[in-house]
Amino acid sequence: MTATTTTPVPVTTRTASGPTFGRVVASEWTKLASLRSPWWTAAVTVLVSLLITYLSAQASSVDPVFHPLSDVNTGLLLGQLGPLVLGVLVGAGEFRTGAFRSTFTVVPRRWPVLAAQTVVVGGFGLLLGVAVAVAGVLGVVPAAMARDVPVDLGADGTPGVLLGMVLYVAGLALLGFALGALLRRTVPALLTAFVLVLILPIVLMLADDPYGGSMSAADVRVTPLGTIGVLLPGTGGQLMTMPASNGPIDGSPDLGPVGGGLVLAAWVLAFLVAAAVRLRSRDVR
Amino acid sequence: MTPVATGASVAARVARGAPARPGVTFARALAAEWTKLTSVAAHAWLALGTVVAAAGTAFGLGMFVRPDDGRSGSWVVVSGFVLAQLGFLVLGSLVATSEYTTGTARTTFVAVPRRLPVLGAQVLVTAGAALLTALVALGASYLATTSARAGDAPALDLSVPGTARALLGFVVVSAAVALLGLGLGALLRRPADALVVGVVLVVFGDYVLTMFPGPVADTVRALLPSSGARLLQDDAALAGLDAVTRGPQLGAWGGGAVLAAWVLVLLGAAAYRLRRHDVR
Repeated sequence: MTATTTTPVPVTTRTASGPTFGRVVASEWTKLASLRSPWWTAAVTVLVSLLITYLSAQASSVDPVFHPLSDVNTGLLLGQLGPLVLGVLVGAGEFRTGAFRSTFTVVPRRWPVLAAQTVVVGGFGLLLGVAVAVAGVLGVVPAAMARDVPVDLGADGTPGVLLGMVLYVAGLALLGFALGALLRRTVPALLTAFVLVLILPIVLMLADDPYGGSMSAADVRVTPLGTIGVLLPGTGGQLMTMPASNGPIDGSPDLGPVGGGLVLAAWVLAFLVAAAVRLRSRDVR
Repeated sequence: MTPVATGASVAARVARGAPARPGVTFARALAAEWTKLTSVAAHAWLALGTVVAAAGTAFGLGMFVRPDDGRSGSWVVVSGFVLAQLGFLVLGSLVATSEYTTGTARTTFVAVPRRLPVLGAQVLVTAGAALLTALVALGASYLATTSARAGDAPALDLSVPGTARALLGFVVVSAAVALLGLGLGALLRRPADALVVGVVLVVFGDYVLTMFPGPVADTVRALLPSSGARLLQDDAALAGLDAVTRGPQLGAWGGGAVLAAWVLVLLGAAAYRLRRHDVR
């Protein structure tokens, strides 16, 4: 019998450098990108945007003065649901599954996780926004070709509109994410996001016009309802997706695309700060 | 060595166990679902929130009614439905999906192995809770709009054609929306999925389609479950809606029939999935 003498392997405790922010961002990206649902949500969003834009451009191509690029943002009407839902699912996801326990054990200071998730969701939202903007352009091309109208992406405010669409999608993803991180449950966060972005504009429209028909274009006064309406995150953010030459929405003060974007950004920031305060000062269970 | 048990001793051993009970009856499944619904605090908060949303929205919209804009007294009272229907949708989808998210579904379907009685009991329980909530919401909306109706808004006058249908419609359509949420939830088994699909079907799809008025969009709008909300309009408003549409004209009851068909189809699909597919 040969006695095997094994020299014990020294247990080296590497002086790990702790969770740096870059590593937290990398892990959050892995969490987002390794799930199937964000990619499915993104794919459905792009397809729905493409379809709605195509139908809208076909419908308005019968107009004698047909500007194909005026329809480029119509896909966002329904497509805006995608980034919103995506953000909520990411924000509330770890609290739903219980994975947050591991996460906050690894990153005990907690706030880097929220910051990293914000970066990751914002980045994913920007990518999705680019895809939606491309889908918008592709959606108007068939109608433009059928009418022999050139699609000039450099003309009057179109670059601004396309950039606004990208930023709007990213902003909605961040809004949903902030709500999810604040409320920590999918259903309440989803409900709040829907009410703020989708339902309250309809309620305000009903206050103006009982049966949801055409609005009176002659009314150019700034009304209280219009002011409340444009200060909502969805309506404000949508100003980014319209050319500045459109002027204000009926009854609302003229914020312009930048002002509208700032409205959405303010909502996102307020919910993110509230989520950070809750994360720092309250228990996670 | 103990002798092999004879028939008599087997019978004696069985008799020593728990007293023989009748199998699962529908009434007991119903009682169980009612307990599940009423013992979760979130459901009570949801019902309260729905009532507040209905009354608050009706109050707010009542402030903007002018005497000459063609709105009736019933419109003012039931106008909170646009926001309150979300509460009913959430109620239905929560009843259907919460057992799948928590895993209680396994216990439930071990207790009721035929499965369909559970869905039937959930339908009854949800409809009952929604009807009750809607009645309270209607009463609260009536009280909240008292000052508006005393001011510029028209009074609630039952002799205006269609007013009774509008008030009753608020209650019935609320329950139907809850059942639609239940059907979606039982079919999709995830609250987020059910909620997204439900909101698009019940509120938002209609709103998007108003942006593209035309025969196709108007036909699709008429066939969406959101046309059930036509039951909340009085006769003059319905005539106005039918005059401008380029799709099918649904008349007084057509919208309700569309909504009922959606509820039945979705619940049928959910029952099929429950019977034929695995529960995990």
